[in-house]
Amino acid sequence: MPKSEENAMWSIFGYLLSGLLFWGGFGYGLDKWLDKNYFTLIGLLVGISGAIYLVWLRFGRE
Amino acid sequence: MRVQLLSEAQGEGFVPPSSGDFELPPIFGENALTTKPIFLLFLSVILISAFFILASRKAAVVPSKLQFAGESVYGFVRNGLARDVIGHEFLRFVPYLFTLFTFILVNNVFGIVPLLQFPTMSRISFPYILALSVYLVFHYVGIRKQGAFKYFKEIMFMPGVPKAAYILITPLEILTFFVVRPLTLALRLFANMFAGHLLLLVFILGGEHLLQGVIGLKLISPFAFGIGIVLTFFEFMVQCLQAYIFTLLAALYIAGALADEH
Repeated sequence: MPKSEENAMWSIFGYLLSGLLFWGGFGYGLDKWLDKNYFTLIGLLVGISGAIYLVWLRFGRE
Repeated sequence: MRVQLLSEAQGEGFVPPSSGDFELPPIFGENALTTKPIFLLFLSVILISAFFILASRKAAVVPSKLQFAGESVYGFVRNGLARDVIGHEFLRFVPYLFTLFTFILVNNVFGIVPLLQFPTMSRISFPYILALSVYLVFHYVGIRKQGAFKYFKEIMFMPGVPKAAYILITPLEILTFFVVRPLTLALRLFANMFAGHLLLLVFILGGEHLLQGVIGLKLISPFAFGIGIVLTFFEFMVQCLQAYIFTLLAALYIAGALADEH
């Protein structure tokens, strides 16, 4: 695999993981705090969209 | 009937390999500093030093086989990794990347060397420390090159993005650069070595266990050993590949920290 692709692959993986962890975790915290059960899901969706947006910014804009 | 079968199967006494197989007792004394991985670590340092000292001692224009071998490894890291990835400033990172690559490679390959047969990097502390060193190096390089403020600003705020989007993506950039990258760097190496060693244990210990069973099982055991041997070659490939990927990503992170735009 060419080096630039290797780089892109692991960067994308890292962004997707951070997206889920951060906004998913944020939603989970809200759920615990407000005693609801849907913020985790919303957080995960927001996180993955943010991560995909970031991937597009970084690798798709050229 | 089923219960009886189960208890008979348990009576056979096959203990499947588990994470306990990685927790080796101290070779002597009562402390954790004399376990096998520690000795393998020192052995790897001695082997690498001896090899490259011998290979470079009588350097000649027409290289000996040893010198050729040593120079191929060096050339691979210098040209294939450092120069291609980092660009014109690559030379001062070659010693670091070269050390990383050979150190990880030798410690990984210990996993399939007869009698040693334990990949040092399957104990997670070693990859953690290596990843920590990469982490310190690439952030240090970035801060030195661009200044702390500019460096962090470029990580956090990518140019050409609507202001509102920063709320969404800035936390992700921070998490990626400061947590996910070093963590995945360590875990990737650890998990590959851990899983590979476990896989070999399953097939080779399983084959040995089948050999002690009834005649029908004895006939199956060569297949288990056969798969074990095939997987040993596969493991060799994975071990080399993981050493390469670790070094490549370290070089890519350094290159990213040096570049003006990430």
